[in-house]
Amino acid sequence: MTHYRMAASVEEALEILEEHGGEARIMAGGTDVMVDMHKGRIAPRCLVDITRIPELRAISVEGEWVQVGAAVTFAEIHRHPFIAQRVHVLAEAARSVGALPIQTAATWAGNIVQAMPAADGAIAALALQAEARIADAEGARWKPVETLFVRPGVSAVNPCRQVITHIRFRVPSGLWGSAWTRAGRRESLVLPTLNCGVSLRLHEDGTVAEAVIALGPVAPTPYRARDAEAFLRGKTPDAAAFAEAGCIITGDCNPRTSPARASREYRLALIPEMVAQALEVATRRAQPSVEAAVR
Amino acid sequence: MEATISFTLNGKAVTVRTDPMRTLLEVLRNDLGLTGTKQGCDLEGECGACTVLLDGVPVRSCLTPAGKVEGREVLTVEGLGDPDRLHPLQKAFAETGAVQCGYCTPGMLMSSAALLARNPNPSRQDIIEALEGNLCRCTGYARIITAVELAAAQMRGEASPDGAAAQARPIGGDLLRVDIAERVTGRTRYVEDMPMPDALHMRVVRSPHPHARVVAVDTQKALEVSGVLRVLTAADIPGENSIEGYSKDETVLVPVGGTVKMVGDAVALVIAATPEAAQAGVAAVEVAYEPLPAVLDPEEALAPDAVPIHADGNVLSTFAITHGDADAALAASDAVVDATYRTSYLEHATIEREAALGYIDEEGRITVVSGTHEPHWHRDFAAPVLGLEPSQVRVIMPPTGGSFGKRQDPWLVAATALAVYHMRRPVRIAYTRRESFDASPKRHPYVCHYTVGAMRDGMLTGLRLRVTANTGAYDSGGYYIPNYAIVAGGGAYRWRGVDAFAQSVYTNGPKAGQMRGYGTPQSNFALECTLDEMIQRLGDDPVEFRLRNAIAQHETTWLGYPVAESLGYRQVLEAIRPRYQALEAAARAFNEGERNTPWRKGVGLAGMWYRFGKYGIPRVAAEAELGLDGRFIVYCSAPDYGQGIATVIVQLAAETLGVSRDAIRLVNADTATTLDSSVPGASRATYWVGGAVCRAVTALREVVAEVASEMLDCPPSAVVLADDRVMAGGDAHRSLRLSEVAAEMERLGQSRKVMGVLDLRAQFPNYEREVYTPHFVTGAQVAEVLVNTATGQARVTHVVAAHDVGRAINPRDARGQVEGAIVMGLGAALMEEFVPGVTTGFSNYYIPTAKTMPDIEVIFVEVPSYQGPFGAKGLGEAPILPTAPAIINAISRAVGARIREIPATPERILAAARQGGLR
Ligand SMILES: Cc1cc2nc3c(=O)[nH]c(=O)nc-3n(C[C@@H](O)[C@@H](O)[C@H](O)COP(=O)(O)OP(=O)(O)OC[C@H]3O[C@@H](n4cnc5c(N)ncnc54)[C@H](O)[C@@H]3O)c2cc1C
Ligand code: FES
Ligand code: FES
Repeated sequence: MTHYRMAASVEEALEILEEHGGEARIMAGGTDVMVDMHKGRIAPRCLVDITRIPELRAISVEGEWVQVGAAVTFAEIHRHPFIAQRVHVLAEAARSVGALPIQTAATWAGNIVQAMPAADGAIAALALQAEARIADAEGARWKPVETLFVRPGVSAVNPCRQVITHIRFRVPSGLWGSAWTRAGRRESLVLPTLNCGVSLRLHEDGTVAEAVIALGPVAPTPYRARDAEAFLRGKTPDAAAFAEAGCIITGDCNPRTSPARASREYRLALIPEMVAQALEVATRRAQPSVEAAVR
Repeated sequence: MEATISFTLNGKAVTVRTDPMRTLLEVLRNDLGLTGTKQGCDLEGECGACTVLLDGVPVRSCLTPAGKVEGREVLTVEGLGDPDRLHPLQKAFAETGAVQCGYCTPGMLMSSAALLARNPNPSRQDIIEALEGNLCRCTGYARIITAVELAAAQMRGEASPDGAAAQARPIGGDLLRVDIAERVTGRTRYVEDMPMPDALHMRVVRSPHPHARVVAVDTQKALEVSGVLRVLTAADIPGENSIEGYSKDETVLVPVGGTVKMVGDAVALVIAATPEAAQAGVAAVEVAYEPLPAVLDPEEALAPDAVPIHADGNVLSTFAITHGDADAALAASDAVVDATYRTSYLEHATIEREAALGYIDEEGRITVVSGTHEPHWHRDFAAPVLGLEPSQVRVIMPPTGGSFGKRQDPWLVAATALAVYHMRRPVRIAYTRRESFDASPKRHPYVCHYTVGAMRDGMLTGLRLRVTANTGAYDSGGYYIPNYAIVAGGGAYRWRGVDAFAQSVYTNGPKAGQMRGYGTPQSNFALECTLDEMIQRLGDDPVEFRLRNAIAQHETTWLGYPVAESLGYRQVLEAIRPRYQALEAAARAFNEGERNTPWRKGVGLAGMWYRFGKYGIPRVAAEAELGLDGRFIVYCSAPDYGQGIATVIVQLAAETLGVSRDAIRLVNADTATTLDSSVPGASRATYWVGGAVCRAVTALREVVAEVASEMLDCPPSAVVLADDRVMAGGDAHRSLRLSEVAAEMERLGQSRKVMGVLDLRAQFPNYEREVYTPHFVTGAQVAEVLVNTATGQARVTHVVAAHDVGRAINPRDARGQVEGAIVMGLGAALMEEFVPGVTTGFSNYYIPTAKTMPDIEVIFVEVPSYQGPFGAKGLGEAPILPTAPAIINAISRAVGARIREIPATPERILAAARQGGLR
């Protein structure tokens, strides 16, 4: 039998976790927790609902950082004007989680802690080099989201001892653009066959200053294509460079066959297409002429 | 731990005491009695039937713990409007035909309401995106989108709130469905919604093995579970442990010593005071299995040394047709195409899961309320299991959330009846979605080997056809599949020689049974794709080629006899020709412009003929009565699981009598009160049952006129009916209430109930040999598909469907049937596939969503039938036949290589594109 507690503050949430000595668990939207409980995959003694903690309910764009509270839903994220207009990779990833009535409950932090290799929110977080603020009995600290994945379904954040309070990433500046591509067996309510998030900063001369490429599910945890990113640095962002980046990734990552979704071979065939398409769109969005006219 | 939870529900403050971890869905349905909110999946967020608004935002109530709603506002379908004050959305859903079975409707309405509150002027795309998370299996979504547009316009004050619908004539007018106000307000009680205070709960112990011997069944531990009252095994079956006649080889419960032959085979029934106890009981039943080698591939099952699944071998049934000399015709051909086509197991995936409620009725009969295609059949299968006479068992058709053939399996009725027999108390059961996927019959996967010949001038010559149908573990009503496979597999074409053989083969896969089109969509897919291969080989035109080879009305077909109903295939092809040409030209221009991109558009055409002829004696009866209140009552068995037949029957009766629809009351599909129609299957109901109803009301009209003429002192021929009155020659001053006529009949001792019979025995004197009456409908569809040849992703953008329906009794509903069939066919073509051992439910069986929906144009070609009511023919199933081949032909043409297996997943399309040299 599971107890249910609505926490009023982060402190209270942590206290309840402590009280239960690791047998209570944080719940946000519940879109994973409820399913996992119904299927008997988890059986916490107590669930600590954090969605009504006021300071976790906001998105702020202040100074260098865009900061998203852990109780903000994906629907609130993709409807946020700044994110919708400037941070395409996040807006579009948020819009592809299941379907709208999932997005109205599901949170970014929950998506990250669930730690699925193709979690849309996790892939977008990698592409944005996002950080998560983790609070526990010892205090709170920011950590790169990229460091939070252990293996499929297991996060370095222990939801029975710790709470992610916020996720943040840098306010886009300069010649910066991002993009999201995703393939699935149908167009909504489906886990991705492949997803890819990209962000790109250009030098004034149009060459690549920095590229960040994330993909799933091509490894046991959300995957960051570091070699391809290094290759692109200093290059002219054109089809040839994108194709080469795709080749580098195909050679490096290791997708699996999932019987109800796609084979390894198909995923490998898809990678260069999806990466090139994302890079192309991100480049377009980063270029100065277009930046002004972004829809 | 119980807690007190207070919130606002549909505008009123409510407080419940409950465990805050229970889902809002359960609290609404069970504690608060609001059963409008539905459950379509295993509380896993996959279907959207449970959508409610939480502070105006659509959420899954199955994923919302009750504790979350403390202090917040919840709106359910019951709060949107009530039958007397419909919300504009509810009204628009009713008026546009957005509701078929209605099971998805509450969720759709709530998602739509949230959209309109946020955005009063949504684009079509906005609507599609708002509804992308709500599955509907019936409508194909088009009408739902239109309904939201209409409601939005009305709420902005732009469209007149009163449609013309209400004034339309009964026949050929877009009348509202008979019980629509209840459906759109969540008042309709489906089986799971029916209150039954003392009902016990049943769950089923099912095999986890595809093939194993049952060595022992120990029920002791289960009986010790608190709340468990009884565990029934094969030993508790008082009559025959089989559903003989339907499935000649299937037990109700596998006995000790017997073998389970598929995952999901039933071994025991656990009956308990609560669903939870029943579930715990199932887990506690100990079944010892001795696993046996399993065969899943039908070709392997045919090998001489294959594991025998049933005692007399692995072939269930065969059928062959020879006509002329196929070998000679093929040998003399200028071109021969050889091709092997494959299809997959498909699941009906109705949004309502299987459910039944059993009890003992006031006359002591064992009664089961459960979705069915013919309640009398199910009664006749269930009674022998109990060792009872059919008259001691009663089956009632409740409002049902979709079928497509799913509800034809009598197992659930038999098992529920067995439980009531032993418990003498009400018993209810609802499958889980997982169980529904495991245990319900599927569509047969086919392997079709085609050899087709033609001459250079585009005339077909010979057809050699070999079909292997995988029937899985049981017959399950699939015995006649080979016959259907071949009849559909040769099509409405003139062949000089045909050599066709089909067999239905046992495997340890899920049992395959009835599904929309019963055995015909698979072979029609293979035929129409093979023909397209030939057409491309010859450089011919898809429309002209089919026209040139189409059989004519009175000619003897390759089946050996002429068709017995009007045949509109040529008219259909001519109707679709201009649309094909236009789409084809547009695609060519598009591809020219996209030469340097991976995008290609393909346009494909496919035709079909579909036999809606009746099996057995070509005679169907119905009754009509003049009630003492002066209303007409029609009694028949035409179960309505969402396709709208109840409305059609009422329309037919109203038109025949010349009265308004309100003057008719329908008593439908209850073995205690209606006659056996022996017409299971939607496509036959309008023609056969509708025909019988028309005859019954005509006969009743004569009797009424007779009596009234005495009372009014005029000849019977001068008596005119006007809703609740009769008049002499239209003279309003010489009129009587129909209730007065009824009273007079009562006084005279004259029966107010008469029977009507549609009897075609004279037309088919040798019906006992012919088996099926040769009645066919035809149609053709064109699909336009956009393909990314670099990723294999395909999107069906447009479908044009032309169908000969004889006469569209309710054009809007008929359109809805066609749209629903097309989207279902699209699912089969591109995404649906039940893989034994892999597929578990909606999370990995992909049915189309609103985003998958193409633009659909429907053209009704009305070539009146000779015998059907007002010229109508059968419609419900046929439109699914041409969709998959039209789509696959489009893709194959776009990528320059043939796809011969469905679903055409992106992976298969990409492989074809590479083979076609596009990458
Ligand atoms: C039908 C359906 C379709 C879906 N489709 C997709 C999809 O397409 N793509 C996709 O990526 N995902 C998909 N998901 C999963 C997605 O909804 C979740 O991953 C969601 O983002 C989790 O957020 P939540 O707020 O619901 O988390 P919860 O379910 O509340 O929690 C998830 C996990 O995170 C922990 N947790 C939550 N918040 C915190 C926190 N602040 N600090 C510490 N631990 C925390 C919980 O203890 C739990 O372990 C789907 C889910 C469903 C039901
Ligand atoms: S029952 Fe909630 S989504 Fe299916
Ligand atoms: S009407 Fe949508 S599921 Fe039947």
